[in-house]
Amino acid sequence: MSWPRDLHFVTSFNMRTNWIIVFSALAVTYSCKPKKIESDWNSGEANMAAYVAIGGSSTGGYMHDALTYEGQQNSLAAILGSQFEMVGGSPMVHPSVASSSIGWSLTGASVLELGFKTDCNGTTSLSPVRTGPTGDATVLNNIYSSTNRNFGIPFLSSLKLNDASYGDPMNGTHNPFFARMASSSSSSILTDLSATNMTFCSIQVGVDEVLEYARKGASAGSLAPVNGSAGSGFTGSIQELMDLVESKGAKAVVATIPDVMTMPYFTTIPYDGLDLDAESAESLNQIYNPIGINFVVGKNAFMIEDPNAGVFGVRQMVPGELLLLNVPLDSVKCYKMGSVFPLRDEFILTLDEQQEIRTAVEGYNESLVNMANSKGFAVVREDYFYKSFSAGMVYNGVSLNAQFVSGGAYSLDGLRLNPRGNALLANEYIRAINQKYNARIPYADPIKYKGIVFP
Amino acid sequence: MFLTSGICTTSFSQGYQVNFQGQKQQGMASAGTALPQDASTVFFNPGAASFLEKGSIEIAMTPVFGNTLFEEDSTGVTGRTNSPMGKPFSVYALLRNKKVEALSYGIGIYTPFGSTIQYEDGWVGRFALTRLELMSIFVQPTISYQLNDKLGIGAGFVYCIGKVNLQKDIPVIDQNGEYSHAELSASASGMGVNAGVYFKASEILSFGLTYRSKVTMGVADGTAEFTVPEALAPNFPNGSFSSELPLPQVITLGAAFMTNENLSIAADINYIGWSAYDTLAFDYVNNTESLEDTRSARNYENTFAFRLGGQYKVSDLLSVRLGLAYGMTPVQNGYVTPETPDADRISYTGGLSLNLHEHFDIDLSLLYTHVERWDHNLETNLTGKYTTNVVAPGFALRYKF
Repeated sequence: MSWPRDLHFVTSFNMRTNWIIVFSALAVTYSCKPKKIESDWNSGEANMAAYVAIGGSSTGGYMHDALTYEGQQNSLAAILGSQFEMVGGSPMVHPSVASSSIGWSLTGASVLELGFKTDCNGTTSLSPVRTGPTGDATVLNNIYSSTNRNFGIPFLSSLKLNDASYGDPMNGTHNPFFARMASSSSSSILTDLSATNMTFCSIQVGVDEVLEYARKGASAGSLAPVNGSAGSGFTGSIQELMDLVESKGAKAVVATIPDVMTMPYFTTIPYDGLDLDAESAESLNQIYNPIGINFVVGKNAFMIEDPNAGVFGVRQMVPGELLLLNVPLDSVKCYKMGSVFPLRDEFILTLDEQQEIRTAVEGYNESLVNMANSKGFAVVREDYFYKSFSAGMVYNGVSLNAQFVSGGAYSLDGLRLNPRGNALLANEYIRAINQKYNARIPYADPIKYKGIVFP
Repeated sequence: MFLTSGICTTSFSQGYQVNFQGQKQQGMASAGTALPQDASTVFFNPGAASFLEKGSIEIAMTPVFGNTLFEEDSTGVTGRTNSPMGKPFSVYALLRNKKVEALSYGIGIYTPFGSTIQYEDGWVGRFALTRLELMSIFVQPTISYQLNDKLGIGAGFVYCIGKVNLQKDIPVIDQNGEYSHAELSASASGMGVNAGVYFKASEILSFGLTYRSKVTMGVADGTAEFTVPEALAPNFPNGSFSSELPLPQVITLGAAFMTNENLSIAADINYIGWSAYDTLAFDYVNNTESLEDTRSARNYENTFAFRLGGQYKVSDLLSVRLGLAYGMTPVQNGYVTPETPDADRISYTGGLSLNLHEHFDIDLSLLYTHVERWDHNLETNLTGKYTTNVVAPGFALRYKF
């Protein structure tokens, strides 16, 4: 075996080989990276220079049952605003809550977070808990600014759009979330809107008032009639709003109202969640057998109050009826609520009540679509969008559905979307705008927005 | 958190196949089933190895530099890979039997399948994949026998060892806003054969036919590790999993045309049995409501690759090569994943050899390919365009005797 004569040549060649490899590595790293094609994002026939958001909880950033800074930053208005910035929009201006605030709910509580809660049986489990013993009342301090462009008002009612006492804290039926941003205590939403410069509007009115009625088991207040003039009917009130937007020369996207009864607040507790052992079933049978109601070991339908149900005004729930998340669960688990003590109307949506709500929403939506079409505004079908959640969807490998907490898109109140849900919803708005106004506005990346935070 | 591996390869070819098994062939678009060149013939056609007059031993490596850009349609958001350099290698030895001239023995150690692809932190497809490292090493002892002047047969037994490491984020966040993470790692092994027939029709024309069998890489006891918020730890128990990955069969028909002493042309057609890869399944030992066994459809299709290369002997010292390959992707529309952002592709290759000494020579090769694929994945709904550039310079050192 003889070795090559000129070893020196071989070594120097190897060094050259190494050098070639290093050079190739550099070449590949710096010049062979695929180039990104610059996108021609544009707003088409719409002008996003001054975007004003009008709507309820989603628009304003009320989520996890409170208005917070973080909620505002992840509101529909904020997400749409930041996408519109890529097509000439100026940054969204909110009536901002202090970033350190623990928020304020309608009932004065702080924002919900996921934590551990021990129930009456001593069982500790993952559950929404309040971040503080009480909410931050300074959230309600008036911080009017003429530059505000987020008119997302949680619990907004269409009939109050042009009500001059809606922002007056002295008035019993005012809305504290409008009062905090109103220009004066005698100014209506429409008055303040007409003072803004707007080139584009999102209009999301209706869902909050339907929610407000439904979340109390259709036991308090009433739904606005579909027809009727401004202040007394849904259609007239929205017409007045759209007329204002049109008169400002702005274009708009108008949202329909979802079937709120698909939201986790209404679907989490099963109607037949009364789980009985032999002893409990027997003692309930002693009470209820005389009026013809029988309980078995295992799953049973809850007992509810119903004035139309025979002389005693009580009956069992039937399939399709909804037991709401406002029910005090400890009372159900340990104090016989829903069995010995029938559940009150405020915790239940009966089939009739559901039908009443659905009929109203159908009427509202027909009106909304007709009015939007006649103005030439874009329509975003929030009702279709929420339906897709109920069926379950996958976004970039993330499974989302309408399950409470685990579904990933709803906030911990089970009624409003979380940041990620809002981003997905915002993309439906963008889809509608792009289609209507021949625009190419980039969608938001929902993955960048938080879902539920786990401890 | 990320495993580092000394031996890995970068996804660059059809599926996760890696066609870097011989430097001379690489210069000719990896054609060579009917053109025995050196000890790498142990891989390219065991039936042709006995036609080689010299024994040799060689070592080769092909650093692979691949870059992928993903552009999401709807958001315009982009994600890039920062994969480590791939290092497919091969080692061959071929020995002529001293007593029976027609008989040769050989051994090949090579890496015909593999992929290491790593995406930048926080990329838009993070819940589909953040990193995949798939590595396989085939060891193939081989016997080649020359039946007569025209016909040779040969076969090798293949034992394969490998490992896989797959990572992705889980869409739940903790108090610090950090996403959860899953890491599946395992070693695997499998067996197969590589058999071939070589027919030298005349001094100027030869044919080759080879069959490399499917090798199923079985994972019996992989390790699944989950980094999740404390409250969800019971939902994502660390533990064991089983899985398997098929490395598909390849049937190759080749022809070589020796126009004169100096110019040879080789053409190969590969038929690759990718339909073996129809499902990627993970079976976890500890199932929970959040951690169910998964079955992801891959639905790969059988494909062809066409390879054409030429070799010209400039002088006793220098030979040069050029090649062009067209490979069809096995990945159907709707099934493109970040693991293998694959597409039909044209590869351009070149190479040269330096016969430095009676006993010693060097081969160099270079491959470039550019791949574009748009897809809407049916499982994750990830929608956008993958663009990949690959440059792979390779070298071999050979001792002949």
